[in-house]
Amino acid sequence: MTTPVIDARGVTKRYGEVTAVDEVSLRIEAGEIYALLGLNGAGKTTTIRMLLGMVRPTSGGVAVLGAAVRPGMHEVWRRVGYLVETPTAYPELTVSENLAVAARLRGLRGRRHVEDVIARLRLDTYAHRRAGTLSLGNAQRLGLAKALLHKPDLLILDEPANGLDPAGVAEIRDLLLELQQQGVTVLLSSHILTEVARLASRIGVIHDGRLVREIAADDLAEHERQRLSISVRDHARARTTLQAAGFWPDSVNGGFELTDPRALREPEAVVAVLAAAGCPPHRVVVEQDDLETFFLRVVGS
Amino acid sequence: MIGALATEFLKARRSRVPLVTVFAFTVVALVGGLFMFILKDPDRARELGLIGTKAALVGGTADWPTYLAFLAQASAIGGMIVFGLVEIWVFGREFSQHTAKDLLALPTSRVSIVAAKFGVVVVWCLVLAVQLLVLGLVIGTVLGLPGWSAPVLATGLGRIAGVAAMTVLLTTPVAFAACAGRGYLPGVGMMIAAVFCAQIIAALGYGQYFPWSVPALFSGLAGPDQPVPGPFGVLLVILVGVAGAMGTALWWRQADHDR
Repeated sequence: MTTPVIDARGVTKRYGEVTAVDEVSLRIEAGEIYALLGLNGAGKTTTIRMLLGMVRPTSGGVAVLGAAVRPGMHEVWRRVGYLVETPTAYPELTVSENLAVAARLRGLRGRRHVEDVIARLRLDTYAHRRAGTLSLGNAQRLGLAKALLHKPDLLILDEPANGLDPAGVAEIRDLLLELQQQGVTVLLSSHILTEVARLASRIGVIHDGRLVREIAADDLAEHERQRLSISVRDHARARTTLQAAGFWPDSVNGGFELTDPRALREPEAVVAVLAAAGCPPHRVVVEQDDLETFFLRVVGS
Repeated sequence: MIGALATEFLKARRSRVPLVTVFAFTVVALVGGLFMFILKDPDRARELGLIGTKAALVGGTADWPTYLAFLAQASAIGGMIVFGLVEIWVFGREFSQHTAKDLLALPTSRVSIVAAKFGVVVVWCLVLAVQLLVLGLVIGTVLGLPGWSAPVLATGLGRIAGVAAMTVLLTTPVAFAACAGRGYLPGVGMMIAAVFCAQIIAALGYGQYFPWSVPALFSGLAGPDQPVPGPFGVLLVILVGVAGAMGTALWWRQADHDR
């Protein structure tokens, strides 16, 4: 059994009466892209800060790359890159100087690391521009560049696609997938669910400070409910007809949703019953949950 | 540690704040020179009214001992404010600009980063003190002040250096306030409170027991009737300096950095 890259056991953080994170356990293996999903204030950032040793858990423990996270331990951070919340930089320093500062603090020598990461994040045009003048998207690129500067084994990224345009989002997705191919482990939090669906190998849903569901991306399809969505003009007659035929329609937005297997297997039978009763449907669709629906269902919104 | 020092110096060099502090200490030296210029001619000083009266307060004669004493006194009060602002900027900026989080999970320890910041503050304040000394010498020479002698110069310059060193030590709690309060304002509040209390407590006659009053008493600002702080006063200053620096380092190492 290999040592997990991130091993959080029953991590809890309380601020007085408020429990920000409640008994969260995470075990992330090497080479995974693990996505933390959650609403604002769900506890994602506090969890990430605990993983990075910025916030001390009230109870529970965290180990990163096999080393217990505690005050004063700093050697392990040589192998970890991170971006927490909004990207920040020293505004009066140029992009290149900001990266040089990060490189010095990471013990990297020479200009090569800085030049490489500038090229990789396509910041060449802005290398000598002061960071205070960057757009949000380019500031995000600079934040990602700082996280990638030292070629870490573990990347912890809080909302990495924040502020990026669609091309930038796709670019970062490709970059993270490429890093995964190289064996880098990625933990990210995001609210862009389509991106998570395309990127993550595992997804954890955090809500009210608790990790309420963990699911492998490959298994997501099994949790995506199907439903037959029907729109009709004579709502009352259609309901009576369907019930008489043994279906159990749920009223939704002026129409119905049927989730019983027979309706999903034979939607044409439902249409035939309604047509025979004189209230043919004007819309019939078999719909499937996407990640967003799954997520909202899990968090109960 | 060397990497941390290099980055802190780079951050300071790229800022305009060092220029502002150099300007402030230049003004201090020039104002002292102006007072000496006025005192050299008492009739003209009287014609200038208020300025002449104020200038008379520092001793009343235009000579080297008076000028050097003025510079020492100015560096006690002005130093607390300017050196305090240096501390507040060096530490508070990381919180006001939200860059502190990028310093927390690095192979360079947080204590090294704090030590590098204090290192930059010490060098910065040292440069300001040397600037004051050099400007003082130049201005005094240009004005042709009388009373020059090697012992007078050594005493005057030694007093300025001592006051500056004590003042730097007394600003470390300001750095702590800027960190624990996560921004500039708590540091500014701490600095104003220290300067205010120093004045009140010195006026009440207990200044030698209150660390922030000690540099001013040492410089002779409170007048000849005030007790001169002895080794106990200096010890208090050192204790405050060490406590402020250690408290800041411990806070960076142990506190929850949740913002």
